[in-house]
Amino acid sequence: MARLNLLLVVMLLFSCVWLIRSSYESRHLFVELEKAQSRDHELQSDRERLLLDKRAQATPLRVEKLAREKLRMFSATPAVTHYVNEAASAPVEVAP
Amino acid sequence: MSRVGDLIRKLRRLPRRQNASAMPTVRYATSPLLASRTPPWRVKFLIGAIGLGFAVLIGRAAWIQIIHNDFYLQQGASRYERRIELPANRGRILDRNGELLASSVPSPSLWVIPKDFEATPAQFKALAKLLNMKSAELKKRLDGNQNFAWLRRQVDDSVAQQVAALDIKGVHEIKETKRQYPEGEAAAHIVGFTNIEDEGQEGIELAYQKQLIGRDGVRHVIKDRLGRVVESVGDLIPADDGREIRLSIDAKIQFYAYQRIRDAVAFHKAKAGSVVVLDAQTGEVLALANVPSYTPSDRRNLTGAQLRNRALTDTFEPGSTMKPFIISWALETNRVKPDTVISTGNGRMTIDGATITDSHPHGDLTVEQVIQKSSNIGTAKLALQFQPKEMWELFTAVGMGQKPQIGFPGVVTGRLRPYKSWRRIEQVTMSYGYGLSASLLQLAQAYTVFARDGELIPISLLKRDEADDTATPKKLALRADYKPGQSAPADDLVPVRGTRVFSPETAREVRKMLAMVTANGGTAPKAQAMGYSVGGKTGTAHKQEGKGYSGNKYRSWFVGIAPISHPRIVVAVMVDEPGNGVYFGGDVAAPVFSQVVEQTLNRLGVMPDLDVRPDITAMQSVEESF
Repeated sequence: MARLNLLLVVMLLFSCVWLIRSSYESRHLFVELEKAQSRDHELQSDRERLLLDKRAQATPLRVEKLAREKLRMFSATPAVTHYVNEAASAPVEVAP
Repeated sequence: MSRVGDLIRKLRRLPRRQNASAMPTVRYATSPLLASRTPPWRVKFLIGAIGLGFAVLIGRAAWIQIIHNDFYLQQGASRYERRIELPANRGRILDRNGELLASSVPSPSLWVIPKDFEATPAQFKALAKLLNMKSAELKKRLDGNQNFAWLRRQVDDSVAQQVAALDIKGVHEIKETKRQYPEGEAAAHIVGFTNIEDEGQEGIELAYQKQLIGRDGVRHVIKDRLGRVVESVGDLIPADDGREIRLSIDAKIQFYAYQRIRDAVAFHKAKAGSVVVLDAQTGEVLALANVPSYTPSDRRNLTGAQLRNRALTDTFEPGSTMKPFIISWALETNRVKPDTVISTGNGRMTIDGATITDSHPHGDLTVEQVIQKSSNIGTAKLALQFQPKEMWELFTAVGMGQKPQIGFPGVVTGRLRPYKSWRRIEQVTMSYGYGLSASLLQLAQAYTVFARDGELIPISLLKRDEADDTATPKKLALRADYKPGQSAPADDLVPVRGTRVFSPETAREVRKMLAMVTANGGTAPKAQAMGYSVGGKTGTAHKQEGKGYSGNKYRSWFVGIAPISHPRIVVAVMVDEPGNGVYFGGDVAAPVFSQVVEQTLNRLGVMPDLDVRPDITAMQSVEESF
C-alpha cells in the first residue's frame, strides 16, 4: 500500500512539474507568436510605405521630366509609330 | 437550563471557600445582578440575533459571489486584463490599373505630460530641432495644460525614433496613420483628402468614407510585469480593414489632362480650367482635372478656389455646345435633312422685340453648315418649329437639369426651367445654350449620345466591373496582387447600355457635322489630332455677372469625340476667363482637346484611323559628356 502511495506521490509531483514546464513553454511560445505578429505588422506597413515611395518616384510628372531632360526622349505620335498588323504574316517594312 | 443554574451556584460557592483563607476582597459573587436568574428568552434572543447576523453575512456573500458577481468579476479582470485596440487600416484608393492614388502609412504622434517633463538643456534643444520648432515655441507648449500637450502629430518614423532615442521623461508616442497621395495635385480633386482624424473631407475620400474606414477590432490580453503580452483572454474581434476603392481614373491620362489644362491656363492667363475625359464604351471617367489645384499633403494656405472641383460643381450656360442636340432632334423628327437650306440672312433676327445675332452674316446655310459655322439664327429657326415641351424633354433626356449619378460630393444639377414658364424668346436662346446651365461633366455625358449612336450612357467614377459586382472585401483582397501598369485589353470592354435619345442614323449624321467643325473652315480646326479623326463643338460665352453679361470676361470650351469614325472617348475642355486677348473656344480650348485626345488614344492603344505621313527619322545622337 505504502509503495503504491509513494508511486502516486512521485507521479503527482512529476505531473506538477510537467504542468509548470508546459505552461511556461506555452507562454514563451505565445510571446514568440506575438513578436512574430508585430513583426508581420511592421513589415506590412513598411511594404506599404515602400510601395508609396516607389509610386512617388514613378509619378508621371517625374518620369516625363526625367525622360525629357535626362534621356532626351519625346512623346510618341502616330507619325513616328509604325503600327504592325497582327494578321499580316509578311515581314513589315520599317520606314527609314 | 438547570445545568446553567448549577454552574452559577458552583461559582457562587467558589469565592467563599477562597475567602476563608484569603484577605477579604470585593464580593462580586454577591452582586444582586448575578443573584437573579437569567430569563430564558434572553438567551434565545441572543442566539437568534447571532444566527440572523450569520444569515445576513451568508446572504451578502451569496449576493456578491453568486448572484451579482459581474461587477466584481469586471473589477478583477480590469486589474490583470488589458484591452488592445486593433485599428483597421483605411482602404487604399487605386486607379483603374491598380496604381496607388491614396494609401495610409504609420506615422507616430508625439505627446507630452508637461508636469513630468524633465530634460537637460541639450536634450531640450535637440528635441526642438527634431520637432522643427523654435525653443520658445516648445516652451510655450509645455507651459500650457500640465497634463497633456501634443508635441507634433504625424511625424516621420525616423523622427519618432530619434525622439525616442533622446529618452526624455514625460515624452510619449502614439501610433497613428497618415494618408499619402503620390499623384499630388494632378488627382487632388478626384481623390480628395482626409483630416488628421482620418475622416474623409473631400472627393472620393469623403464619398466612400464608410467603405474606406473599415471596423476596428479588439482583443483582451494579460500582460506581464515587463509589458509583454503573455496570454490572450476571451474572444478576439479582428480588425476589418477598409475596402479598396478602384477608380475608373487612369493615372497617366489624368496626369496628361492635368498637365495640358494647367499649361493652357498659364498660357492664356486664365482664371481656371477643367478637363473631363469619358470612355464612350463604358461611361467611365478616365480623367477629370481642374486648375487651380492643390497638393493634398500640404493644405495650409488652401483657398476655396483651389478646392473646387469645377468640372462637377460649376455650372455655366452651355452655349453653342447645345446646338447639335437641336439639329439632331430636327433630323430625328424629319423636319429637316442635312442638306436642307436655312436662311440666316444678314446675321440678325428679331423675335418678340428681342434681337439675336450671329457673329458674322452667313446668308444661306445648310443644316450641316449651321453646326459648322455655329449659327445662332439657323439653330433658332429650327427650334421655333418645336413645342416647348418637346424641347424640354429633349434637354432632360440628355441630362440637362439632372444630377449625374456618380456618387460624388458636390455634384450639381444645373438649371433647366420647366417648359410651362418659357417665353418664345427664351425657347430660342435656349436652343443655342443660353438660359439653362450645366456642369462640364454633364456636357461631356450629354455628348455620349453622339458617341454611342444615339444612346445616353450612365457614367461612373468607379471601375466598371468593380461598380457592378457586389464587391465583398474578400473578393477585393484577392485582387490585391495586381500588376502595376497593366491595362485592360480593349476587347474585354463590354459597352454599357444607355437610354436611347436619337436613332443611330441621326447620331451618325450629326457626328459627320461635328467632324466638319474641326475640319478646315469650321470653328475649331485646332482641335484636329494627329492620326485620329475628331469631331466636336466649340462654345464661347460672355460670363454672367450679376444680372447681365460681362463685356470682357469670357468662358471658352470645347466638347468633342474621338475617333469620330468609331468613337472611343468623349473629351470636354473648359477654360475660364482667358486673359490673353484670345478667347474663342476654337483657339483656347480646342488645342487642349487635341493634345488630350492624342495622348489618351495612344495610351488606350487605339489604332490611328487617319493616314499620317510617317516622320520616322534617326535622331541625331548627342555626345554624352563625361
